[in-house]
Amino acid sequence: MTASGARLFLPTLRAVEQDLPVPLGERTRILRELEFDLEGLQSQLMDEGLPAAAARERAMEVLVPGPVVLRELGRLHASPYRRATRHLNDDRLRLMERSVLALATASVLGVQTLALLSAGLLHDSSPFLWPVLGLGALLFAMMLARTFEQCVERDHRRPARSLSGLLGLSGVIVAAASGGVILDLYRVAGVLERAPERASTLMVQWVIRDCALLSVALLLALAGVLTWLVLTQWRALVADAHEAVLGLDRHN
Amino acid sequence: MTETEKDFDVQGFARDINELLVLSTLRTDAKHGYQIALDVETESNGLFRFKHGTLYPILHRLEEEGLLRGSWSKESGRRRKVYALTGSGRRHLSGETSRVEEIVSRLMQVLQRPGEAPA
Repeated sequence: MTASGARLFLPTLRAVEQDLPVPLGERTRILRELEFDLEGLQSQLMDEGLPAAAARERAMEVLVPGPVVLRELGRLHASPYRRATRHLNDDRLRLMERSVLALATASVLGVQTLALLSAGLLHDSSPFLWPVLGLGALLFAMMLARTFEQCVERDHRRPARSLSGLLGLSGVIVAAASGGVILDLYRVAGVLERAPERASTLMVQWVIRDCALLSVALLLALAGVLTWLVLTQWRALVADAHEAVLGLDRHN
Repeated sequence: MTETEKDFDVQGFARDINELLVLSTLRTDAKHGYQIALDVETESNGLFRFKHGTLYPILHRLEEEGLLRGSWSKESGRRRKVYALTGSGRRHLSGETSRVEEIVSRLMQVLQRPGEAPA
């Protein structure tokens, strides 16, 4: 920062930021380094007798990256995943990523079903368990996709609201399970009206069945909410540091 | 075939020179990026100058290769990056300096061949 505290190179940093194709954390570090160097070089040139405006121009000429350098920085600072898949064209890469995502989702759905089967929870289960499991698989796919974007691709450009989908779907799962529990209760109540002598058996069955439904739904929702929390906090940390460098501190 | 002949690539040579200039300015102490740019220009009497941020890919590549160590320090509440030469950077600088010397000496042999100097 200059002696007056003004950040004279902010417009330059913002312009560079627009064309710097690197993950957000790296971009912040590059811009931070660039700003300090620009200020340092300008100040040194002024100490050597150059007028402030000329020193500023010269510092920018030496240090502000041109298009070729920005591309080179993009190559150097690409995420390891981007580097490893550089030889693949975009369409092919997207297809591969979606196939892996679908496969992982199907595997989780399979493992989930097997775990429930071995725990005996699918035998005489609530009819609402299957939609909840389906939504759970969708939630898992979404968790995987958002974690992949943020941690592997390190792409923070996607709007923050894309993470809210995790929270929304977790809520839908709990709501679907709760609705299922209530409808199951109505169903049991209907049977009880016709055969009150089966009350104790039917009530025990209802409790077991719907506790299993609610437990599965709450576990899935918990996973979704935790993933949302971790990704949101991480994203906020990275974004805050970046915005502070660009003088866009949204907390001020 | 010597190492120099095996590795020599005219286009890569310019890049190697820039890398060596950066490494050589860090021989004595750690420096910020702008000091490196300024020192390269001063020490070469203005012959070598970095322009349009060409310094940064060089610094970041050398850091990635472990020839430089970049570290962040916090002064007056702001973070700044300082580069220092590592042990392997020092060895690389020494080896590459000998290679450049050999290349330049062979170039001079060709350019100064008796009786064939340009008019």
